[in-house]
Amino acid sequence: MTGEDAPAGGVALADVRVEFAARDSDGPVVAVDGVTQEIPARGFVSVVGPSGCGKSTLLSVIAGLRTATSGKVEIGGRTVSGPDRDVGVMFQEDSTLPWKNVTDNVRFPLQIAHVSRTEQAERAQDAIDLVGLGGFERRYPAELSGGMRQRVALARTLAMRPSVLLMDEPFAALDQQTRLLLGAEVRRIWGETHQTVLFVTHDISEAILLSQQVWVMSYRPGTIIDVVDVDLPEDRDSAVVATPRFNELQNRIWESLRTESMRGFAQENQVRA
Amino acid sequence: MSLTAARPARGDARILIGSVGVAVAAAIVWEIASHLSFVIPKPLATLGALGRDLTDPRYLADLRETLLAALGAFAVATFGGGLVGLGLGLSKVARVVFGPFITVLNGVPKIVLYPVLLPVFHLGYGSKIVMGVLFGLFPVLINVATGVREIPDVYWRLARSVRANRWQTLTHILLPAIRGPLLTGLRLAVSLSLVGVVLSEFFATKRGLGRVVLQSYSGGDYADMMSTILLLIAISFVLSLLLWRLERRVR
Amino acid sequence: MSVRAPEAASRTAGRAAARRPRGRRRPGSGLASAGATVALIVIAGVVAEAGARGGWWAPDVLPAPSDILPATAQIVGSAEFWPDAVRTGMELVLSCVFGVAAGLLVGLGFWKAPGVGRVFEPYLVSFYAVPLVLFYPISIVLIGINQWSVIVLASVMTAIPMTLNTWMGLRAVPPVYLKLAASIRCSRAQTLFRVALPAAAPYVFAGLRLGVVYALIGTVAMEFTTAQAGLGYQIRYLYESFDAVGMYAYILVIVAISVLLTAVLEIAERLLMRRRNA
Repeated sequence: MTGEDAPAGGVALADVRVEFAARDSDGPVVAVDGVTQEIPARGFVSVVGPSGCGKSTLLSVIAGLRTATSGKVEIGGRTVSGPDRDVGVMFQEDSTLPWKNVTDNVRFPLQIAHVSRTEQAERAQDAIDLVGLGGFERRYPAELSGGMRQRVALARTLAMRPSVLLMDEPFAALDQQTRLLLGAEVRRIWGETHQTVLFVTHDISEAILLSQQVWVMSYRPGTIIDVVDVDLPEDRDSAVVATPRFNELQNRIWESLRTESMRGFAQENQVRA
Repeated sequence: MSLTAARPARGDARILIGSVGVAVAAAIVWEIASHLSFVIPKPLATLGALGRDLTDPRYLADLRETLLAALGAFAVATFGGGLVGLGLGLSKVARVVFGPFITVLNGVPKIVLYPVLLPVFHLGYGSKIVMGVLFGLFPVLINVATGVREIPDVYWRLARSVRANRWQTLTHILLPAIRGPLLTGLRLAVSLSLVGVVLSEFFATKRGLGRVVLQSYSGGDYADMMSTILLLIAISFVLSLLLWRLERRVR
Repeated sequence: MSVRAPEAASRTAGRAAARRPRGRRRPGSGLASAGATVALIVIAGVVAEAGARGGWWAPDVLPAPSDILPATAQIVGSAEFWPDAVRTGMELVLSCVFGVAAGLLVGLGFWKAPGVGRVFEPYLVSFYAVPLVLFYPISIVLIGINQWSVIVLASVMTAIPMTLNTWMGLRAVPPVYLKLAASIRCSRAQTLFRVALPAAAPYVFAGLRLGVVYALIGTVAMEFTTAQAGLGYQIRYLYESFDAVGMYAYILVIVAISVLLTAVLEIAERLLMRRRNA
């Protein structure tokens, strides 16, 4: 798995709006509204926002798992109309299948895509090695820690060799140390494979640490209220969190987010009351 | 999700209408079937038979006998099954020693033990109640044992940290924690105790609805047979449904 | 509804596999259990022997095991045993096959159309333990006194826990598995057979175990009550002709079948789920 053979495709969003049918009669809930943004091919963009702001919904739309109410999503110039094997999705919840061992989990999408057996084995092994799971091929998810299971999920996504990688808070359920470690791994792997990455998170420092650009999303209706270019060195490591520039970026994002989080909190409580 | 609060009530009403619709459809199928085959009694004739039965004092005595036996069996099954289940749930040693044995006993068709029970407990209430207990015991036992074993460890630590004594632990921690599985066990035990009693009445007994069913069957009086079976099913169905609703509420 | 919501069907399985407690089962406890079970059976045998020989009870109430065991061996070796055994076996196998297939299909249908499932749910939860055996006289009236009236009802008894457990298992499939299936473009069949059903397997297995036990209980109970052939009928027949030893021999055969079925299913499940719940 090398940088040269990874296909490239940018993501373009044009005025994307997503409504949910509300279950009571108050009219539809607007989860995402007026999102017009672009991720350049091989770019790494993070989306941060308060919980419930629609960032995961936006990711589902790009993944083709959900259709936008209006607007257009293009990947590599083609309009998204459904899930595409060229787009890899990684979920927040543990999605390793407990009845398959590590290798079989990683091979699963390749089997579905009718990739030849020899190529399945080769690509699965490459991906397993890439995420640092060499030696655990025959283990079952129940025998692995939460962090290692997310590595399996990452390997499974990478084995498809997608040109676009969509990650929906993949490490949110893990402890802080594991999260930092896996974040660094994702950054390293991206350095090798150079896919286009959209990374959804609620963790501001994770977003800054990993990406080239951070989109800040507002509470319902979810719109992009700020776009922050991360002008930190490309070969950064976790030591960068101590730099003044990191702090400035963090403060700027937190400023835009703080009012949104408060507003979201107030609204949620109001609806409940 | 905070926005879904209004929905369940409306959905529930629709489901209820649907469930009632299923019963109505079954009655219609029955009516049609009764026109196609002479052995199937007409629904109305069955209702008529039920009406006659329920005003017949001898039938009511049979009904009373069956219900009393079932109630007794249910009480014993609940108490005994609860105690044994508690023991099995609390003690790993008890589980290791008796677990497979109980699994095996649970899998034995209890009805074949009837000939064994009859000479021991004689005709009348004794053997009926024992049969009902045999039917109703295992669901309570197994559900309580499973429920106790699955109580989160933190509950036990909480009990110790507030220095609850055994009785307090039982009433404030253990019983509330297993109320779901306990209710499941009770729901099954209610129905199964009744089935056990009625089945034992199929054989050597002088009274009870089981005997009435078999008598109308051998006498070719299918409307009467059907009405008694429906009555038994209705009793068991209503009790089980009430417990099921309660069970869903506590979960 | 919560993913973990346990239901009657898997609950009564005793240890529904899906809810198996964390942590590996210690290798010693299986052996200890087996040893304890054998010991319990031996103790029961010794007590029965002592009681029957010592005159604690009349010999026709419970004959001595030393009489029952040879009689069992002799009966199983005799020619007249097999027609009944084959009949019961056929009824059992056919009701398991029909019941399991029907339960899987209906459970699947309920999953696809949850509204329909919820409409039927109150009937299923109340009927699967309830008086299906009471329908036996009706079934005889409709179908006649033959093995089909047994098979039809035993199939229904098998199908009900199978339906409830399959449905419950499918409802408990983590939504992320289905999102995964969609994202890698699994077809509907692939989503069902390679993701949803394997994920629901512990519940389906619990349903299978219940269903098979119900098939046996139902078959024997119905033979016992009114059939004219089969192992259950033999017990009734021998009971009515005061042949206590012969009757216990047949009871022993049925208990053995029940033990065998339970053990086979248990072992199969352990093998298949070996590392899944490690």
